[in-house]
Parts: sequence; structure tokens; C-alpha cells
Amino acid sequence: MTATDVSAQQVTQDRRSGWQRFLPADLAIRILPGLLFCVLLAGGWEVMAQVQQSPLIPDLAGIWAELKSILVSGEAAADIGTTLGRIALGFLLAFATAIGVGLASARNRIARYFFEPALLLGLTVPGLVWALLCVIWFGLSLKTSVVAIALGIAPALAVSLSHGLNAVDAQLIEVAHVYRLSRWARLRYLWLPAILPFLTSGARLAFSLAWKVVVLVEVFGLSTGVGYRLNSAFISQNVAAVLAWTVAFAVVVAVIEFGFFQVIETRLNRWKREAQV
Amino acid sequence: MNTSMNKGMSAAIRFRHVTRRFRRSGESAPRAVLENFSLAVAPGELVALVGASGIGKTTLLHLAAGLERADSGRVELGEGKRAARLGMVFQQPRLFEWLSAARNIEIAAEAAQVDRDIGRRMLAEVGLADYADAYPSSLSGGQRQRVALARAFAVDPDIVLLDEPFSALDELTARKLRLLLQRLWRLHRPSGLLVTHNTLEASLLADRIVVLAGQPARIEALVEIEQPRPQSAEDPAVFQRHRAIIEVLEKLAA
Repeated sequence: MTATDVSAQQVTQDRRSGWQRFLPADLAIRILPGLLFCVLLAGGWEVMAQVQQSPLIPDLAGIWAELKSILVSGEAAADIGTTLGRIALGFLLAFATAIGVGLASARNRIARYFFEPALLLGLTVPGLVWALLCVIWFGLSLKTSVVAIALGIAPALAVSLSHGLNAVDAQLIEVAHVYRLSRWARLRYLWLPAILPFLTSGARLAFSLAWKVVVLVEVFGLSTGVGYRLNSAFISQNVAAVLAWTVAFAVVVAVIEFGFFQVIETRLNRWKREAQV
Repeated sequence: MNTSMNKGMSAAIRFRHVTRRFRRSGESAPRAVLENFSLAVAPGELVALVGASGIGKTTLLHLAAGLERADSGRVELGEGKRAARLGMVFQQPRLFEWLSAARNIEIAAEAAQVDRDIGRRMLAEVGLADYADAYPSSLSGGQRQRVALARAFAVDPDIVLLDEPFSALDELTARKLRLLLQRLWRLHRPSGLLVTHNTLEASLLADRIVVLAGQPARIEALVEIEQPRPQSAEDPAVFQRHRAIIEVLEKLAA
């Protein structure tokens, strides 16, 4: 190897360690493609706004001004917090219902056939219907959003739970029987690891459904929350405000996705990843 | 009625007049796989069950393991009042994929109220000391079956049930594991049943070989093995017994 080769190799290594010091290769591959999509979307939007020059398509500066305004005034934190609180309560009610229905459906054939029409109905009825009915039934109250969310997402959670329970390996149930594992040990080492992946994907789907239902309820019958703000912006034809609220909530959803669902998923799949090494 | 031990003798496993029927799809009445079947396994004895597929070998093992219930008759395990501790090795290792090799053993040991350290100690005993923290899917088939063997013996078992434990392995690995099983048996001295299609394996590992035939199953032949363990697969006596069992099976097939 010549001196030139050595120095070239060192430069390459230095260069690599230079940018990798700030952004490791794995993380770059994980983040950059999504970031590129966002940049292209924003760029495309800006080009469209400049070409159209219409108040219906505000430019990025206009959207940013609205976003900054709702962030600085505290409106974004308050209303997004209110909406998330409603989602959390609806989620809890749905989860409690889904555990009962999912367990019964997985363990008993008659119960499965009994709940089948309810689950089918629940999965096919649009969130809009639950939102409208709950506003009519319960009026302007917290109950409206909580019940509407629960009705909208409980079927998806129950189906996920039921699938998870049915997917538990019968051969491992025999092992647990032979070695006389306690109920707690069976729950911890057999049932939970088997159903948690199903439950995580069900919860992720349920979260996206819950967000759509709660916004509808807030649009129709409530005076706080992201849906209410979106409706206000719509009435005043403020497209920039509609987009600013959408972006603000999307950021919160992304934080929940990456900071909660993906963290849980990574932990649950740790054994698969380590096995591949 | 078939029986192979005197009624008065103590037994680690005793099937008393067991009947087990199954209804197969397309059949109107259930068919008896076992009827009034009796067999006793003496303490410290390993009895191999050989015979054609579907004859009822695995049913006997499942009855002993409590995975199935007899329609009539009784299956008694252990000699004293304490419930017998069971270890079982299946054809597939049946490990909890999300738990490390050591943890797979420890959860069984905890249930049997055996010291938790036994997980790592048993792994060392089966030659997997360096794999305690490895997940099962990162292990080879032979290594996984070693973990299953370690789990079966970690519970300080009174009885070990072996359901074709080496049939899914290549012959070289199976040979090593048969030697390992002989060593573990000598160290822990449980009683047990071995279901196998491999008559050479039965001749090598068992103290007594029971050849099952018929529908419902009856004991067609019994081969007592007087030689002490460990036996070698190269031993002409092992091969002679293997030949004798093959002849019985060939006669039955004819």
C-alpha cells in the first residue's frame, strides 16, 4: 500500500466517522427517507401555492405563521391535550369491553358466534355514525366523545385480542401443563408474549380510528378540542389554520407512534432480532 | 388384559385397565385405541414403546403426562403421596421462543420449586454453558433439543416422558444426544417411558422394550434388557435386540 493509498483510506474513514458521529448509519436509514418525503411534500405544496396564488392554498410561510400563533398562545397545547384526554378515556372504555368480548370469543365457540354480528357491525359502521348518534344521545358532554370512541374502536381491539389468543401455540400450552406452570407464570410467559404483538397492532389501528371519531364528535357537538378548532377555521375559511392544526396534531401522533408504539414493538420483537444476529 | 409387572410390585408409572377411545372424522362410533390396557414401569426403569404409527404409543404417553384423560381405568404416577414431578421431551423442542435458553429451564424449575440456578447448571451439564442467554431461534436443532433435555431433568423429575425425542435430528446429532440422555439418566435416576420408531434407539436406551400391536393395542412382545447403562451402539447385543424387535414387527406387518 502506498502512502497515497493510506492517506486516501484515512480521509474516507475520517469522513465517515465525521457524519456518522452525529447520525449513525442505522438511524440515518431509518430517518432520512421519511424526512425526504416530508421535504418533497412541503416543496411541492410551496410550488403549488406560488403557482396558484390563491387563499385556498396558503404558502408555507402562512401555515407556519398560524402554527406559531397557536403554539405561542397555548391553544395548541390546551386543545390537543383535551382531544388526547378524550381519546385516552375512550380507549380505556374500549379496552375494558374488548378484553371481555375478546376473551369470551377466543375461549368459547358459542360466545364467538354470539358476538360475531356485533363485531362485524362495529367494524363496518363508520365513525361518523357513532359520532352523530352520541351527540344526539348525550349532547355536549365528555360522555359523548368517550362513548363514540369506545364504540368506534372496541371491535378492532376485540378482534385483535381474540386473534392473539387463538394464535397461542397449543404445543406450548401442553408444555405449561406438563411442567405445572402457575396461572401467573402461564399469563406472563405464555399468553402475554403471544398476544401482545396482536394487541399492539390492534391498539395502533384503534388509535388512528379514535382520532378520526373524536374529531367528528368535536366538530359536531363540542366547544373544545382539535375538531372544534378545525371547524372554527373551516367556518372562517382559514385554510392556513386548518393545515396548522392538522400539522400540530400530526406531530403529536408521530411522537406517540415513535415514542410509544414503536418502542413497545421493538421490545416485543427483541428476541427475533437477536436471533438473526 | 396385558400386564408386565406383578400387581404387588411398586411402580413409578402404572396404567390400570385403561380404555381410551377416539372418534375419527367420518366414523359414527368412537374406536378404542386402548382397551383394558395395563402396564407398569418400575422405579428407575425406562420402558420403550415401539409399534406401528397410530397404535397408541403417544396416547399412552399423553395419558401419563395428563394431556389426555382415560375413558375408564386409572393412570397412577409416583409411589408416595407427593405428586410425581414430570419432565417431558417432545419430538420438537417446544421452547418459549421469547425466553432465553436459561429462562426456558428456570420457569419449569420455579414451578417445581427447584433452585433457579439450576437453569445455568443444567445448560452446563448438556454442554451449552455459553448459550444461557441465547434465544432458542439462534440455536441449532440439536442445541434446542439439548435445552429441552436440560429442562426435563432440571425439575428433579420422578418421571421423564420421551416422545420420539431425537427423530427430528440428523443421525450424528441424535447419536450424541442419546449418549447425553444415558448420562443424564444415570445421574438423575428417574423412571420413564420412551416412544420411538427407532428400534435400535429403543435397544440402546431402554431397560425394557414393549412392542405394541393390534387395534385396540395389546402388548405383543416384551424384551427385557439386563445389561447396565451406558450401552454402546457398537455393542453386538444391542444390535441383536434390535434385530429381534424388527423380526417381531415384520411378522406383525405380514
